[in-house]
Amino acid sequence: MVTRRAAEMLLAIAARRWPADLRDDLHREWDAEVHVLAASGRRTRMLGFAVSLAVSRAGSPLVDRAMMHRRARRTAAALLLAPLACIGIVVVSAVLMNVVFNWLLLPQVQLPLWSALTAGLAVLLAVSATRWARHTVLGGPLRIALGVVLPIGAALALAGYVLPAEGLARTVPGLLLWLAGLTLVLWAVAALAARGRVRAAWWLGLLGALVVADLAVILFVVGNIPGSGAVAAGSPPDTVDRISAPLWLFACWTDWNFGLPRPTRWEIFLITDQLLVEPMLYLACTPYALAYTIRAARSEPTAPVALAPAPSPV
Amino acid sequence: MRITIPVAKVLAALLAEPDAERYGLDLMRMTGLPSGTLYPVLHRLRAAGWLAADWEAIDPVAAGRPARRYYRLTAEGVAEARRTLADLRAAIPDGRPSWGGAGPSEAPAW
Repeated sequence: MVTRRAAEMLLAIAARRWPADLRDDLHREWDAEVHVLAASGRRTRMLGFAVSLAVSRAGSPLVDRAMMHRRARRTAAALLLAPLACIGIVVVSAVLMNVVFNWLLLPQVQLPLWSALTAGLAVLLAVSATRWARHTVLGGPLRIALGVVLPIGAALALAGYVLPAEGLARTVPGLLLWLAGLTLVLWAVAALAARGRVRAAWWLGLLGALVVADLAVILFVVGNIPGSGAVAAGSPPDTVDRISAPLWLFACWTDWNFGLPRPTRWEIFLITDQLLVEPMLYLACTPYALAYTIRAARSEPTAPVALAPAPSPV
Repeated sequence: MRITIPVAKVLAALLAEPDAERYGLDLMRMTGLPSGTLYPVLHRLRAAGWLAADWEAIDPVAAGRPARRYYRLTAEGVAEARRTLADLRAAIPDGRPSWGGAGPSEAPAW
C-alpha cells in the first residue's frame, strides 16, 4: 500500500513535467501500468517504473527551429507591444471620456467613466493576451513574471521620456514599487497556475495587484501631500488625512469616498490633482499582465510539436 | 526525426510484429528501456505520426483495472521504420546492431 502511494506520488511529479495538454493522458496511462504491476505483486518494478519517469527528462519536444524562432518573435512582439497598448488604452479612454464629458457636462462622471473605459479596453486586451500566451517561449514562473513586467517598465520609461509631463520624477518611487510588487505577484500567480490551480491564481493575482497598486498610490500621496488633522471650517487645508489611505486608489478610479467620512471631496481633489494617470495605468496593465501570466504558466513547458490525433479515452 | 539508439530499439520492437498492439510495459520488456526513456521516445514517434495510440476498449469496473493505452505503428511509421533501420544496418556493416533485431546471418525482423 505504501509503495503504491509512493508510486502514485512519483507519477504525479513526473506528469507535471510534461506539457499541460499531455499530462492527464500520460498520468492515466502510467497509472494503468502501475496497477498491472501492483496487481501482479511486482512492487519493486512498480516503484522502478515510477522513479524512472519522475527523474528522467520529460518528453523531449521535436523542435522545429523555424517554428521556435517564429514563436520567439511572436512572444517578443506580444510582450513589447502589449504595454504600449496599455498606455494607448489610457490615452484613448481619456479622449473618449472627454468627448462624452463635453456632451454630458457632468464633472462627477469624468473619472468613473475614464476608469470604466480603461477597464473595458484592458479586458479586451487581456483576452487577446490569453491567445498570444498560449504559444509563449517563456518558461518558469519567474521568467514569465519578469517577461511581462520588464517591458511594462520599459514602456512607462519610454512614455515618461517622450511625453511632456510635469513632476514625473515624483511618480518614480510609486511606479517602481508597483513594478516590483507586480513582479512578485505574477511570480506567485504563475507558480500557482503552473500547478493547475487557475482559480486560485486569478484570485491571488487580482487581490495582489490591487494591494500593490494601492501601496503605490499610498507611497505617492504620503511622499507628496502633507498629512492633516481635522478639516478646518471655511477653506480646507491642502492636506490629506492618512486614515483613509487604503481607499485612495479606489477614490482615484471612482472620484468617490464610498459614503465614508474620509477621504473628503477636497482630499480626493488634492490626490487626483497630482495623481491622475498612474492609477489608470495600473488599471490598464493589470488584466493583461494577469491573463498573459496565467495562460503562459499553464502552457509550460513549451510544447512546440503538433501531436498526431490523440486517442479518445474509452 | 533524430534516430537515437532508444528510438531504434523501439522501432525494432514494434516492427517485429507491425500489426501487434503493444503496451508500455511490453515495450519496456522488449527493448530493455526504462520507463523514463521509453515514454519520451513514444511521444516523439507519435508526434512524428509514426505511431498511433489508443485506449483499451474495456469496462474498468468489470475488468477491475484501468484501461491501458496501447501503441501500434502507422502505415507511414512501418515504412519509415523499415527504411530507417535499414539505413542504420547499412551504416554498421559488421556485427549485430546495438538496438537489437535479427542476427547477421538471419533475415532482419523488419
